[in-house]
Amino acid sequence: MNKRFIGVFGTVLVLTGFGYLIWGGLGGSLVYFVTPTELLARGEAAYETPVRLAGNVVPGSVNWNARELDLRFHLSDGETDIEVWSKGAPPAMFQDTMGVVVEGRYNRAGIFESSSVMVRHSNEYKAPPEGHRPADTYEALIREE
Amino acid sequence: MSWKRAGIAMLVGIPLLMLLAWGMVRGDPRIIPSPLIDQPAPDFELPVMAPARTPDGEDVTGEVVRLSDHLGEVVVLNFYASWCVPCRIEHPALVRTAARYRDRGVQFYGVVYQDTPQAIRTYLRQMGAKGYPSLLDPGQRVAIDWGLAGVPETFIVGKDGRISKKIFSAVTEQELVTEIERLLAEPSPAAAPASTPEVSF
Amino acid sequence: MIRLIGYSATLFSLAAAVYGVIAAIWGVRSKRQDILASVRAAAYATFGLMLVANLAMVYALVTKDFSISYVAQVGSHATPFGIAVISLWSALEGSILFWGLVLAFCAAAVAWLHRDERSDMFAVTNGVMLVVGAFFYMLMVGPANPFGAVFPVPMDGPGPNPLLQNHWLMAVHPPLLYLGYVGMTVPFAFAIGALMSRQTDERWLWLTRRWTLMAWAFLTAGIVSGMWWSYEVLGWGGYWAWDPVENASLLPWLTATAFIHSAMVQERRGMLKTWNVTLIIATFLLTILGTFLTRSGILTSVHAFAGGDIGYYFLIFMGIMLLGSLALLAGRSEELRTTGSLDSPASRETVFLLNNMILAAFTFTVLLGTLFPLVAEAARGVRVTVGEPFFNRMTLPLAVTLLFLMGVGPALPWGRPSAKHYRKLILPASVAAISALVAVLLGAGLMATLGFAFAGFAITTNAAEFLLGAGARRRALGESPLVALSRLVKANPRRFGGYTAHLGILVMALGIVASSEFTLDHEVTLGPRETATVGAYTVRFDDIWGRQEPHRFVVAAELAVFMGDRRVATLEPRLNYYEMSDQPITTPAVRSRAHEDLYITLLAFERDGSSTTLRVMVEPLLVWIWIGGIIMFVGAGIAFTYRGPKDGKSKPRAPGVPVKGKVAQAGQAAGRVRAADKEEVPA
Repeated sequence: MNKRFIGVFGTVLVLTGFGYLIWGGLGGSLVYFVTPTELLARGEAAYETPVRLAGNVVPGSVNWNARELDLRFHLSDGETDIEVWSKGAPPAMFQDTMGVVVEGRYNRAGIFESSSVMVRHSNEYKAPPEGHRPADTYEALIREE
Repeated sequence: MSWKRAGIAMLVGIPLLMLLAWGMVRGDPRIIPSPLIDQPAPDFELPVMAPARTPDGEDVTGEVVRLSDHLGEVVVLNFYASWCVPCRIEHPALVRTAARYRDRGVQFYGVVYQDTPQAIRTYLRQMGAKGYPSLLDPGQRVAIDWGLAGVPETFIVGKDGRISKKIFSAVTEQELVTEIERLLAEPSPAAAPASTPEVSF
Repeated sequence: MIRLIGYSATLFSLAAAVYGVIAAIWGVRSKRQDILASVRAAAYATFGLMLVANLAMVYALVTKDFSISYVAQVGSHATPFGIAVISLWSALEGSILFWGLVLAFCAAAVAWLHRDERSDMFAVTNGVMLVVGAFFYMLMVGPANPFGAVFPVPMDGPGPNPLLQNHWLMAVHPPLLYLGYVGMTVPFAFAIGALMSRQTDERWLWLTRRWTLMAWAFLTAGIVSGMWWSYEVLGWGGYWAWDPVENASLLPWLTATAFIHSAMVQERRGMLKTWNVTLIIATFLLTILGTFLTRSGILTSVHAFAGGDIGYYFLIFMGIMLLGSLALLAGRSEELRTTGSLDSPASRETVFLLNNMILAAFTFTVLLGTLFPLVAEAARGVRVTVGEPFFNRMTLPLAVTLLFLMGVGPALPWGRPSAKHYRKLILPASVAAISALVAVLLGAGLMATLGFAFAGFAITTNAAEFLLGAGARRRALGESPLVALSRLVKANPRRFGGYTAHLGILVMALGIVASSEFTLDHEVTLGPRETATVGAYTVRFDDIWGRQEPHRFVVAAELAVFMGDRRVATLEPRLNYYEMSDQPITTPAVRSRAHEDLYITLLAFERDGSSTTLRVMVEPLLVWIWIGGIIMFVGAGIAFTYRGPKDGKSKPRAPGVPVKGKVAQAGQAAGRVRAADKEEVPA
């Protein structure tokens, strides 16, 4: 009986400890996924918590300073838009209207400071719009062989 | 393993399966829930694409469609492109449904997304060149207003001018009919739209 | 025409598989061997038909027959021949078709290898293989039909996913993974066969040992090639992001690894019978869960796969398999009673038990972290992602403990250890202490220090087995060191295959710890002829050019790399713009050396070529991750050559059965080495 008791007790102890670790671990590393509207609707809780913010890049809002590695743009879900500031290069072919997810936190100044900018890959392939084929866009780079 | 232990295992397994099943029913997580549902549809004014290039080399007929002109009617807006495979799949369903509701105050429009009029004309010819008008959206302004993530996406706007449903990927006739019937059954919003401002205090 | 051939082949495979399942049940009930022979014939037939269907699809892909839905989806006139062939597995329907082929091959192979067996276990096993087959053929006939008709026939298609075209690893990664996944069906089918026919002794373990090893080796290769591809193509400098799709492939690997170890405990001591059956059932279910998670799109993943109704089919299949297996397990609890016990808490069995507990905890943690977003959304309606920190914090201690156990295991004997065995640990322990000291001096964190220490410890004990064994042989038999080593391994392939696989994973662990702990990572914008210095390297931006290639447009930056004053390399990180895709694919330029990798990606550039933004990373020992993966595969291959005392057609162990000639030889050789092993070898 004693041996059995120790066995059961030990198992419960190990499982509890493990469960506690997992629970704590989960709580600390959850990142919520929100749209700008949802973020602002959180009120006070919107500030300084890590979230993933999803939306589309507002046309004409992109401002990328390569020298300073400083990227600013507005992100919109069609209703609300939020200014995003990121230290680091934009993902390749980053452009207006593109769907992106940015990870970071919303600061008191009302700017979303992002640590990473990810492009939401669409399922369907998209044809580049007329006049936006890479070969036309980057004509200046093509060398005569 | 006895039946008792198997029972415990099933108590873990069945909720897991149910969770996964729920995950399937809930829809695609990559799609961000549109904040536009039940909101007034963003208005637009778009030129109607000509079925063939006009003698003066124009791609448009000169006609313009304004969404707000359709208040009191049900409007189905389908964003599509010639390069998209699901668009090909859903096209016949849209054409059939459009024909079915033509005389019942339901207006269908296609909105061309990131494509050239020329490619669209070839595509429509391939698909049977029947159906409803296509609108050109230069610069994808309307697509942005409507929060488009890709094509095809189909929006259904009720008589009150609010977006009642957004359908991602290929739409089926069943989905369209169910929603249109529901919207048609609703009472028209307070008679003529023009009178609405006068109702205010 | 091709469409008709392909579609009928899938339809007939389904028919053959369904017939086979019914015939298996009927044959076992009526004890009629002629009917059971027709079950085997059904298995051969599915293989033939699947071969036809797959060849038809490859032909259609190569000849660009856009009237077939799958070709319209992934084909294009611009696609080169080789890529057209491998686009067989570039999207869902084609993958299922290829999966069906591999599965049918396994079913046919199992039926053929055991065609002379008359026991019910084999009949049930063949039946289970065909049940799983029938499920996949059903998918092909219905919801994931690759041979659908497209009308009107499109002029051209979009071409396969650009990621597939970008690197040769993508050509091998999916098939390796499928071979691993599908291979796990065989031990599962045997486990069910053993349970149903109440033959729950060790026989099914012996029969499936090589299948499991093969599937494990391919699964390992599949996962490692996926990591490697991610590193070479995705351009973020890492290889593992705890993405749901990655986790989905890791889960069955963890349970399969646990199974390979616990099966040995059952062979030796008759323990863990229920556990072994549970593990292999779990492994099979996790392969199905993995496919479900990957293909249903219910979790957000960087790997974009179209969702669809196919998920429901997987879910229902998984549910039936789970509940059926549990019921079967419960009904056979009497037959699964343990017949042995532990002799000593410090024996190899104990280490195996601990290893299994940790692998189980590991599996649970990864599963929980993967599915938690779903739980949170169901319970509270919020969308969350479980961040990398969770996985890292939870799994690193488990992984470090596994490293430690890998070091202790080989040093301890089966049964009861003696003082000699403990003495064997002195050298490895000192290596561990030195590694830890060096790590601390280099500024490593706690987990990394422990990682280095235990990896050093375990590498020493595993390598010592080779050196001591070969040394003893050399002295006893006068063989040259290399001959001694190869004969040692040949004489005892199972044991030394295992040690080799351990060395592989340990080398990989070293690479992982070093490259994640000591990475240098800089983003810089450079104008023409400007330089940036990262670590020992100075990078100069010389030029940027664009070029139209047949199916893509390439932009590349030309960089000169200097170490000190010496020019060591010219690197060209690229961006590839594929047609019909709005995203360019980053292709990093990597200079791999044994001690470190220099990894440069092109992040952005000015249209006129006046500046370029680069990410420059220096990652120590990274290349050893891939080398470790290859060593693991080789280790599994060595262990695979061991045929076992009761291979294939031999009868189950019974007292008084004479040992066959070949086996006796192997036994003698092993005995000789063990005798030699007893000599005192100075440490």
